[in-house]
Amino acid sequence: MSKKILVVEDDPTTAEYVANGLEQNGFIVDRASDGRDGLFHATDGNYAAIVLDRMLPGMDGLAVLSAIRAAGIQTPVIVLSALGSTDERVKGLKAGSDDYLPKPFAFSELLARIEALQRRGPASAQEVTTSLSCADLHMDLLTRRVERGSLRIDVQPREFRLLELLLRNKGQVVTRTMMLEEVWDYHFDPGTNVIDVHISRLRKKIDEGSDTPLLHTVRGVGYMLCEQA
Amino acid sequence: MSKRSRRLLPFSAPVRAALVSLAFTLLISVPVLAFVYHQTDTLFEQRIRDRIDTRERNLLNGYRSDGTKGLLRVIQEELDTGLVRNGAILLVDSSNRKIAGNIAAWPPTLTTGTDWIEIRLYPEGSRQAVLYALRTLQLPSGGRLLLGSNVEDRERMRASLLEALIGALLLAIPLGLIGGAMVLRVTERHAREVGKVATRIAAGDFSHRLDEEAQGQEFGMIAAAINAMLERIEELVEQLRLVTDSLAHDLRSPLTRMRANIEKAAGYAAAEPEQQALEAISTDIDRLLRVISATLEISRAEAGMGRQQFENFDLGEMIRSICEIYQPVVEQRGLSLEFQGAGDFPYVGNRQMIGRAVANLMDNALKYGADGGSIELGLRDLGENAEIIVSDRGAGIPAELREDAMRKYRRLEEARTTDGSGLGLAMARAVARLHGGDLALEDNQPGLRVRLLLRRQDGNIADV
Repeated sequence: MSKKILVVEDDPTTAEYVANGLEQNGFIVDRASDGRDGLFHATDGNYAAIVLDRMLPGMDGLAVLSAIRAAGIQTPVIVLSALGSTDERVKGLKAGSDDYLPKPFAFSELLARIEALQRRGPASAQEVTTSLSCADLHMDLLTRRVERGSLRIDVQPREFRLLELLLRNKGQVVTRTMMLEEVWDYHFDPGTNVIDVHISRLRKKIDEGSDTPLLHTVRGVGYMLCEQA
Repeated sequence: MSKRSRRLLPFSAPVRAALVSLAFTLLISVPVLAFVYHQTDTLFEQRIRDRIDTRERNLLNGYRSDGTKGLLRVIQEELDTGLVRNGAILLVDSSNRKIAGNIAAWPPTLTTGTDWIEIRLYPEGSRQAVLYALRTLQLPSGGRLLLGSNVEDRERMRASLLEALIGALLLAIPLGLIGGAMVLRVTERHAREVGKVATRIAAGDFSHRLDEEAQGQEFGMIAAAINAMLERIEELVEQLRLVTDSLAHDLRSPLTRMRANIEKAAGYAAAEPEQQALEAISTDIDRLLRVISATLEISRAEAGMGRQQFENFDLGEMIRSICEIYQPVVEQRGLSLEFQGAGDFPYVGNRQMIGRAVANLMDNALKYGADGGSIELGLRDLGENAEIIVSDRGAGIPAELREDAMRKYRRLEEARTTDGSGLGLAMARAVARLHGGDLALEDNQPGLRVRLLLRRQDGNIADV
């Protein structure tokens, strides 16, 4: 799979910040500083994902997005925006973006979302999976059974979806806001540590009594499900 | 002002309008009818007087030409021709004896020289007393003459005239009421039209205008003035949107850069104290950002933005999911979360904003209700409104401070020491008002009960 990312951002500091971060994580980054240039690159190159600023000189970010989609390019697009209101997010998603991240953002949040988008891939290519697993943790999506080793684990419906999200992004960081969005469909930052408490409950169920914990905290970013710490 | 006038006339608007219209009708018709009555009566009396005048002239002519004999001739003529069938005539001599006439005797109370006096007398050969208007004359011979006219007709005319006039007046009352009701209906229709548009504007939908053509002259002028005002409001809201958008952009972009640089610096700084300082700056940036976001969201909600994102969703499901999100954290803090939910509750509104508002209320309940036993989250169907209740058993807010607590940045003194933007309640209220509802703070005895009212939108998302 190509690991090329297109970053369309007019602010040099932010662009450099994003590009450096991505390069450090093994991506190849192309940069465009205005909408026209961005559209040109998008139609030309074969990118794994496009990071698109919402407000660009010359051509509005959402207009670029619409043009990309109109040209039949299905590359996952994540929109960065200084317009953080929930209305703007809906506008962005309606225009065809796959994710929407309000500014300012932590790079780790952006990275987690880009990784998640890559994992998801284009909708057409998504294969139908019936089970997910990580080490000796198994999840059957049809019977909705969860097992650790030979032990059956009883999970509530939302815990199931939380665990499913973590399993689908195995080995990748899943941030708190991603969890709130994916599991509960809310796009705000709750003032209290509601997600952490959910995770600690889930962790208790799957990791308690086991020598090898699977659910890890990534400090300041989120959580990750993987075999080794 | 309005309160005072309402006290003066303690009726509802329609009744008031009908009464005013009735009063006007009476004010106009009573004098008109009285004038008609007076004129008719005067005319009738004048005719009687004219007849008596003519007879007096004839009688005196007879007297002048031939003395008492001439007078008697005219009297006899009158009696013969039936001229006095409806009248009275009597001639007496100086010793009060009757000489001629159709009246038996001179009425004892009647003096001579009267021009018009109304007395009831018995004509000769009749047992029925008749009302006469009488004139009496002193003759030079010493005799006296009485001539009169039957005015029973006038009495009858007066009675029927009065009857007709009262009838007309009675007819004027329902006509007045109907007229009032019709005027009221026309006015009300226009008022309702204006009210409907105003309600939509108040809820943040600026697209509506009054029809200036179809309203008639005066209402057309009002409609034009209101439309001009709406134009201006829409302009201001659009400006506000642009300002908040650019403010958001201009504040967030440097913060994004700042964060980028902090992370870069953290990469170079090896020592723990530097790392900690950078982390503290990072935390403050996040806090600053939350306040900016919340402020902007509140301003936008207050200006009615966010209606574009109204959608159909299940409010019952939303409250259940929020309950589910908060359940673990509430229990972790040693409290219990009691849920009183309805089943499915279809609603049209901005799901994200309502969710955020309820989450804010839950955060508050967790923060300030920590010493109490339980937090309640409930949803009730109040017909026109949906009511979301979040209540805690904490210290509560004194009644006189509740209004203040819902204003932007007005954190109460006790709350200042804890972390928070002081925007939670203001945001919840703005969201409630965006949905045509309101936020109310009440005493939970002990604790605080917050009621978030959301008006049902009549399934109306067609024009947004």
